[in-house]
Amino acid sequence: MTDDDTPMTDGGTDAEARTDGGPPATVPPDDETPTWSDRKERSQGLAQLTYQYFERSRREDEDLRAESTYVERDVLGFPTWPHETLRNLAITSFFVGIMILVAALMPAHFGEPANPGSTPAIILPDWYLYWSFGLLKLNPLNPELAVLGGNIVMSNELLGIVAHGIVFGVIGLVPFLNKGSARRPVEQPFWAAVGVTGVILAFTLAALAIQNFFPISLDLLITLTFVLPVLGGIITYAVLKTMREGYMYDLNRRYYMLRPPK
Amino acid sequence: MSLKKQDEMDHNAWLKKQDLTVIETAFLTTLIWLDKRLRIVDYLELLETMYYRANLQMPKSHTEQYDLDNKFWYWYPLYSLGSLSIVAYLVAAVSGALLGFYYAPSTAGAAAQGDPTAAYDSLVMIMTDVQFGYMLRSIHRWAAQFMVAAVFLHMLRVYFTGSYKEPREVNWILGIVLIGLTLLFGFSGYVLPWKQLSFWAAQIGVEMALATPLVGEWAAQLLFGGFTLGQATLVRMYILHVFVLPFVVTGLIALHVGIVWVQGIAEPH
Repeated sequence: MTDDDTPMTDGGTDAEARTDGGPPATVPPDDETPTWSDRKERSQGLAQLTYQYFERSRREDEDLRAESTYVERDVLGFPTWPHETLRNLAITSFFVGIMILVAALMPAHFGEPANPGSTPAIILPDWYLYWSFGLLKLNPLNPELAVLGGNIVMSNELLGIVAHGIVFGVIGLVPFLNKGSARRPVEQPFWAAVGVTGVILAFTLAALAIQNFFPISLDLLITLTFVLPVLGGIITYAVLKTMREGYMYDLNRRYYMLRPPK
Repeated sequence: MSLKKQDEMDHNAWLKKQDLTVIETAFLTTLIWLDKRLRIVDYLELLETMYYRANLQMPKSHTEQYDLDNKFWYWYPLYSLGSLSIVAYLVAAVSGALLGFYYAPSTAGAAAQGDPTAAYDSLVMIMTDVQFGYMLRSIHRWAAQFMVAAVFLHMLRVYFTGSYKEPREVNWILGIVLIGLTLLFGFSGYVLPWKQLSFWAAQIGVEMALATPLVGEWAAQLLFGGFTLGQATLVRMYILHVFVLPFVVTGLIALHVGIVWVQGIAEPH
């Protein structure tokens, strides 16, 4: 197509006419694109560390996959799509029907208009905030928490807020304290007992929030608020510990054969 | 790098070589035209993969897998509580948007203390005048109740089956944040009708905010628009309920589900 005497602009390396100055200098051709290890060697500092980690973790994955004796699949969970999603669809559509039915049978309540001048005898939030409201009514405990000559350390309202902080903090710490592959309450009676204690505490705090409805003294109610959950936890622990003996044989046989403990 | 155009995959020549009907030619021409611009073949492949996955046989439920039929209650429904709360959230969003057409976040119109305000009157209007309005409000309220209940039970299920454990800590923390925001959703919605209980619930909210050290007064002004309740409180709760929280909660739910998607459903037992 082009003769030999056609002027070349790129040093004559190409048989065809070029007007674009040859291969672009900035973007390397495909076979010269640096590989991960090239990039790792060329880069420095945090970027190099990142590349190094990527390679390590990829190698770790490959090794684990090669070593795995797991018979069915080498993931730790059920796939979200489609198995979980499709099964859930049936239940959720039923659930929407129930919701509309309940809305038709029990219409929403409506009360008096707001009046800043008159405080109602009973102030209550929705049911799901009863536990929180109960935490705000712990003020009879406040003097007992006082140190150094009976001056209370914090105001009653602050006590309620600190209590909320403790509740959320403890819940947030759970996965960092309890690790391992155990999945059933029978395998870890202690953590099941902690959970039952928490659930009962939520209910007793709710009862504390609506204390007007209980014909017992406030002191007794507050004592029960904390004693009942602990009692429930101890019973759970005892029951699960007893059950565990019977279950352990089957658990070991069926479960750890499929998922060997690390 | 030559100027001469090289068509390695000459689809049109391939099209001509074949003996196709008019319909087939039109379909393929359209497909090639679109694919050159939008690379739809990639997406078709994705769809195809999803189709075949959906037609795979379902894995055995864990009771079948571990032969537990007579030993454990089949508690699969507990594993769908997360989806249930999302569905309730969607129902609440749709009914809430419809309610928003009629609701007025205003405390105007009360001549004396304790008179109905514009917000209260708009609720009365929704419940008595608007076609299907009472039902709409009931659906919205019950969807909220169901969502909160489902979220709490979902947390209990995750706790008692140990699904929060090692690779899934981040999602557990995210779940705690989402529960807190759900409760805030409920609280701000509870204030909107501006009835007696709404007002005094908000009053407790202000007092709690004020009792917080350091940031208390600032938080009270930001969330409640001052230390006494009024028009500013109502508008702030309204914006929180219909603008801020929907974006934040929807985003966090997407992240929450996305992490579940990546990590897989925690294998039961």
